[in-house]
Amino acid sequence: MAGGLSPAAALAAGLRTGAGRGGSPAAWLLLGPPSAVLTLLFVLPIGLMLLTSITDPRVSFAHYQRIFTVPLYTHVMLNTFVTSLVVTALCLILGYPLAYVMARRTDWVGTLLLTIVAMSFWTGFLVRTYAWLVILGSKGPVVATYQALGLAGPPPKLLFTSFASTLGMTHILLPYMILALFAVMKKIEPDHLKAAASLGARPRAAFTEVFLPLSLPGIVNGSLLVFVTCLGFFVTPILLGTPRDMMISQLINQQIEELLAWGFASALAVILLLATGAILAVYNRFAGLDRLWG
Amino acid sequence: MRRRTFLRNCAATTAAAVAGPLVVTDRTIAQTRTIFVNTWGGSWTAAEEAAFFKPFTDATGIRVRTVAPVSYAKLKAQVQSGSYEWDVTAVAQADLLRADREGLVEPVDWSVVKKDRLFPNAVYANGLAYCALGTNLAYRKDKFPHGGPKTWADFWDVKKFPGNRSMLNNAVRAAQFALVADGVPPDKVFPMDVDRAFKKLDQIKPHVKVWWTQGNQSQQLLRDGEVDMMVMWNARASELQQQGHPVELVWHGATITTTMWGIAKGAPNRKAAWEFLQFAVQPKPQADFANRLYYGPTNPDAFTFVSPEVARQLPTYPENAKVAIKPDTVWEAEHTAKIQERFTQWLAA
Repeated sequence: MAGGLSPAAALAAGLRTGAGRGGSPAAWLLLGPPSAVLTLLFVLPIGLMLLTSITDPRVSFAHYQRIFTVPLYTHVMLNTFVTSLVVTALCLILGYPLAYVMARRTDWVGTLLLTIVAMSFWTGFLVRTYAWLVILGSKGPVVATYQALGLAGPPPKLLFTSFASTLGMTHILLPYMILALFAVMKKIEPDHLKAAASLGARPRAAFTEVFLPLSLPGIVNGSLLVFVTCLGFFVTPILLGTPRDMMISQLINQQIEELLAWGFASALAVILLLATGAILAVYNRFAGLDRLWG
Repeated sequence: MRRRTFLRNCAATTAAAVAGPLVVTDRTIAQTRTIFVNTWGGSWTAAEEAAFFKPFTDATGIRVRTVAPVSYAKLKAQVQSGSYEWDVTAVAQADLLRADREGLVEPVDWSVVKKDRLFPNAVYANGLAYCALGTNLAYRKDKFPHGGPKTWADFWDVKKFPGNRSMLNNAVRAAQFALVADGVPPDKVFPMDVDRAFKKLDQIKPHVKVWWTQGNQSQQLLRDGEVDMMVMWNARASELQQQGHPVELVWHGATITTTMWGIAKGAPNRKAAWEFLQFAVQPKPQADFANRLYYGPTNPDAFTFVSPEVARQLPTYPENAKVAIKPDTVWEAEHTAKIQERFTQWLAA
């Protein structure tokens, strides 16, 4: 993702060069197929969802009114965003040093770390969630260690807590962050750091003045990837967390699967989409989404 | 994850609306000789294969293919888009009633289904009664050597019966059990006093370690001893017993709900599907299913083919049904959405 030119960037580039040449017809022709695909698979369904939210079961804005008057929905929506932010921050804090070592070490250590991360990435998220059920469970290694150490009192409640839910989601999304960071860091020339050192920068200064700014696209890319994926999560919090950790997709799923209330589900999805869009807009204002493409 | 599935469904709906009439699949060609059944997968589908699908194919030559897992939402998606993945589905009675009221269910084809081959109350909301499913109190015997909880009042009594609890994340079920725990006789639960139920639920909430959503999750909780007593589907608990786990099942105050067979409105293989449904509700196939998976037959004659030891563990066994909560499907279908919203809010608070 970080290497190639994204469709959006290609579109923007195409438009720019097209405008520069006074609108070459060939450039516009090339835009045809991708635009058709995007319209069919993206614009139309979202339009349909918008329409469903105000027409099913009848034409009204009652669904939106309900979302903002019943405290449950705003509460869960807020929790979804806070959880996603926390998980993104944790992934960044944990993932950055690891990606740094992976990118800077050219020997077997880097390869080994990359293999471990990739294997975690390829293991199904449900499998990894159930693994935490075993690890944190009352017969699991954590509780066993606690008891073997002879610590006083009953072992701490680990499973079915917000802690377990956050831990599980961070574990599942961490590889996305690491791989996004790694892809960018790998392209940073080691010579840049040597140049900084030869100009008198201490290692710390070389890192903060040279490496960190150059790795920013990876941070932006990884954070967005993790944040947006996390917004749609709900199985892991259901299995590891408490009902208080409920995510909005769980409510949307309930409306679709159990209650057949597609109008209301669409309205919830529209609000989620708008809120996500708003966050991206703010992000773009301060960080610049175009950094995503290196 | 599910959000993406939903978007994909929307996309599929759109694509089908555009390309629908042009699509010719092998399904359309083979429509008279194959039916597609929406099923839960796992041990449920294995029991269906042996009890229903294979004997039906042997008898009629009509092939049965399965699509898992059961999706209530797909019933609506299929009918709205006119693009069908399956013809027949298993569906809870209250859900079938709501779907029927929305016009999503194919009316009974009386040219295929013969009234004299059906038992009383076999037909409901344009579906045929499939099996009965118990939602019971289950507990670990080894945690209660001096006798375990015998009623929902015991389940609520955390002093007399200390231990971790788990309940099914389902508003109507939770409210039912709360009312019985509060002293309402099982046959007087409906129409439900919802406020009273939530007041009683407040008492148990701090002691419920997990609100489970999936059948295999419930088994894991009791098998691994994460909880000591819980709300559980009867056949899931019986399965644990068969695996040698010290699990006991309580029938007093259990809910017995009927799972139905329903056919999606306008399904391409509906004629053959009605033939299959007629076959599936006969005593022998019903008994074959119940012998494999301990959900009760709806056809009373099926008990002639079930051994007494198995019969005692089935929800429709008269002694069990007598002490269970009498469901009111119409009331449930009409109030589920409202209660579920209140319940979810109560859980999240």
